[in-house]
Amino acid sequence: MTSPDLLLMLLADARLPTAGHTQSAQLEPAVASGLAAADVPAFVSLRLATVTRVEAATAVVALHHLRHGLALDAVELAWAARTPSAAMRATSRTMGRALLRLASRLWPDHRGIASLRRGASRAVVLAAAADAAGLDAAALARLVGYDDVQTVGAAALKLLPLDPAKVAGWVLAALPAVDRLAADVAPLTTPGDIPAAGAPRIEAWAESHATTTRRLFSA
Amino acid sequence: MPDTPIHPSGRALRVGVCGPVGTGKSSLIALVCAQLAASLQIAVVTNDIYTDEDARFLRSAGVLDPERIRAVETGACPHTAIRDDITANLLAVEELEEDFAPLDLVLVESGGDNLTATFSPALVDTQIFLIDVAGGGDVARKGGPGITRADLLVVNKTDLAPHVGVDAEQMVADAGAVRDGRPVIALSRQDAASVAALTDWLLGQLAVHRAGTLVPADPGPMAAHFHADGTAHAHDGAHDDHVHA
Ligand SMILES: Nc1nc2c(ncn2[C@@H]2O[C@H](COP(=O)(O)OP(=O)(O)O)[C@@H](O)[C@H]2O)c(=O)[nH]1
Ligand SMILES: [Mg+2]
Repeated sequence: MTSPDLLLMLLADARLPTAGHTQSAQLEPAVASGLAAADVPAFVSLRLATVTRVEAATAVVALHHLRHGLALDAVELAWAARTPSAAMRATSRTMGRALLRLASRLWPDHRGIASLRRGASRAVVLAAAADAAGLDAAALARLVGYDDVQTVGAAALKLLPLDPAKVAGWVLAALPAVDRLAADVAPLTTPGDIPAAGAPRIEAWAESHATTTRRLFSA
Repeated sequence: MPDTPIHPSGRALRVGVCGPVGTGKSSLIALVCAQLAASLQIAVVTNDIYTDEDARFLRSAGVLDPERIRAVETGACPHTAIRDDITANLLAVEELEEDFAPLDLVLVESGGDNLTATFSPALVDTQIFLIDVAGGGDVARKGGPGITRADLLVVNKTDLAPHVGVDAEQMVADAGAVRDGRPVIALSRQDAASVAALTDWLLGQLAVHRAGTLVPADPGPMAAHFHADGTAHAHDGAHDDHVHA
């Protein structure tokens, strides 16, 4: 039996081959429209309070559904209804597909993973991987939050001239907010519980980025 | 091509096209499409570093349905996207294979990082590495994993050789010397015979792929090199127990 700690580390590792290097979590369009290095911690907080909260809650509710043999359609619908940007939904589904590709190789016999269809959101695929890995809801929510913070940090190093230790400091400083987010969403079980916390500015950036012809990151 | 036997897996031949920026990767892909699109079902994936210029160039070349050309963004990691985390490229290739089934050929253009970037054999079945005469006559001699061990080396733009003071034949001979018998084609889009040599090589690879006997090989990460005693070898890491000066 592998410890949950190690399995959580595995899923949180940017070295997992799931195309994570193609993502900036909307930092690239934010920087293009004037966001400065000093604003990155606020950008991270904004995401944790809004879009990332939706993703973490969706993942937790999906995990509950997987573990109780409930269909995932309502979870997907609830997530889509709370993700008004078509570009962000498309990105989530692409990243979900990348993760599903890996998860079905790592856990070929897992029913939940095998049951997922093309077009599953990343939150739902992550929930299936967490189910296979035996993670609990709070760990899954922390994983979603942590991954988001690190995605912004790694992209910041590519987009803004920064001391990498400073970025690591921002990640460390954001961890209590990740913990609070996880504590808030971990008890959720029904799709209607998923918070509808949009961030119009981030959504608009995602939309404009999807149509630009100059970009380093796919989203 | 319903009456030709296909690969046991049923999927298209995946061909990587890599080499430094400006050596003519996009042009070579346009050339191949222009020559073969009437007889083969083709799709293209580009890995642009910062723009979708390559995808747009190929779409505007009018040699392929624009829908069959897709760009992958690499987050400033062109190396990663074709070698270690190939997921984004694999998804693009698989989506094209599904959307336009059955495809015969998928060409993947690398982000043109530098002389050391080559494709993972998990992404492409065979790969072409490009250098050009304008890059200087000694590029071939300097070697690198792509030059020494890509399945095909193309020395491009031979029509420019007289203008840049390079002996194209010598350059091809130098390349041949470090390649241990692997093929080299001296290409110019203005020279029909050289273009035919290129398409013949591709069709040959396609035939081997369809027979199920094409074994993808990794050209990198280390180039073969020579010792004073005249022996040559490559470092694959397995039993590398001697010291180099
Ligand atoms: N003279 C000559 N120029 C070529 C040839 N092939 C490509 N080029 C030119 O080389 C330049 C770079 O080509 P491109 O295909 O964009 O290179 P890439 O960056 O490797 O994709 C363009 O200006 C092409 O027109 C050739 O055979 N002869
Ligand atoms: Mg190009």
